[in-house]
Amino acid sequence: MAPSRGFAPPRRRILLLVLCGFTLLTLDLSRFGPIGSAQSLVRDLLHPVVEVAGAIVSPFANAWNAVFDYDDLETQNRALQAELDQLRGTALEVDAEREAFRRLLAATEIPYLGEVERVTAMVVRRGIGNFDDDVITIDKGSTSGITTGMAVVTGAGMVGRVDRVDSTTATVQLLSDSSMVVGVRLTDNDEIGLGSTIPNEPRVFRIDRGLDWPLDGDLSVLPAVGTPVVTAGSSRYPAEIPIGRISAVESADDDRSMIVLVEMANDVTDLSYVTVLLAEGMSQISSEVVVPSTSTAPAADAGEG
Amino acid sequence: MTAVPVPMRLAIVLVVGLTVQLTVFVDVRVAGVAPELLALVAVSAGFVAGPQRGPVVGFLSGLLWDVYLPTPLGVAAVVFASVAYGVAMFSEGLFRDSRAQMAAILGLASTVCVIGYALLGSIVGGSGLLSFGLLGIAVVVGLVNALLSPIAALMVAWALDGEAQFR
Repeated sequence: MAPSRGFAPPRRRILLLVLCGFTLLTLDLSRFGPIGSAQSLVRDLLHPVVEVAGAIVSPFANAWNAVFDYDDLETQNRALQAELDQLRGTALEVDAEREAFRRLLAATEIPYLGEVERVTAMVVRRGIGNFDDDVITIDKGSTSGITTGMAVVTGAGMVGRVDRVDSTTATVQLLSDSSMVVGVRLTDNDEIGLGSTIPNEPRVFRIDRGLDWPLDGDLSVLPAVGTPVVTAGSSRYPAEIPIGRISAVESADDDRSMIVLVEMANDVTDLSYVTVLLAEGMSQISSEVVVPSTSTAPAADAGEG
Repeated sequence: MTAVPVPMRLAIVLVVGLTVQLTVFVDVRVAGVAPELLALVAVSAGFVAGPQRGPVVGFLSGLLWDVYLPTPLGVAAVVFASVAYGVAMFSEGLFRDSRAQMAAILGLASTVCVIGYALLGSIVGGSGLLSFGLLGIAVVVGLVNALLSPIAALMVAWALDGEAQFR
């Protein structure tokens, strides 16, 4: 190809492009407003195109899934049926406990989850690339009152938080992303700590900050295996959103702090509908580092992200 | 050649690539890995249009993909433009008479794009990008993109108004 007159030489041009890219990167990292708005505008403009194309190709995608994932779907269906039968049995018991709990929270002035306004949304897309398995896109956005940071739940419990909002869609960062830290309360002993999922194990939540191992060796104070774990009242999310049930309790390497493993109530890898709780964060992120403490003061809001 | 101006044709190709990526390849995956169509458009531009226009198309392609990716804006743009430039410089002196040769170059370049994106994304704070599975993902992307490369090269050649150098 003949060199074009008036164009910068290729080497200079690639340097300019790289420089331009790093400038955008820096501005985006520093949360420069117009950059985020421009990205949101592009997504909103292209949304109708992507939606129509999605409707056209969905039979093909469904056929692909039917061919390659049929056995998985059959197994999943049987497991879900068994789970549904079990849930029907416990529903009445839960209703009774919920009412008692609502009264208790009202007395302590902690906002009850049932009173938080909410929006139900459909999952329109799972991760789009090869590195964002922990992200889903839902079909509700800022026009439905959704803002960044809101908690996203299902009937079983918390699944993540709103990460990015456009006018008609929003992106949700799932709890399976191990960088998402949540302040939680152990219902068995009311202790509060911080935890996140373990990388590559999306159904195991690990609470490793804020909990003390009993120095006097009295293991009877440890939280019981099988008891529920919920979001803490001092968390940036509404209180009492279920996270899961304790599966193991162990001491950390320093023998002073406690590590609690929780089997998550939700399978965040397989979601169809979710609910966004239209409540702003209960507290702001603190820059303080949480260190194991011998006091019982809640520290869940510190370092939560 | 045609009445549609080059920027418009390029926009069409980019939006088609993005739309197919966001609809078809969310579900249709090979060994759990989705092809990277916008990376393929970028490296095809480097191959088809040379070092002057190839990296610019690569940059735009990456920038569009960045809008949807969780990493900060500019990561894919920088990587795609750089790899497109590399492809353009490497293939400039080649006597191109083989689609297999083109597929091999574009497949390998796509692999480099995936690894480069993961590396730069991690440097700027992206989580979960560097893992043991990265090499596997990059190889599968390279193989699938190599298979798709003849279509991508034709589309990019059409978009860039007959600048195609491959036969």
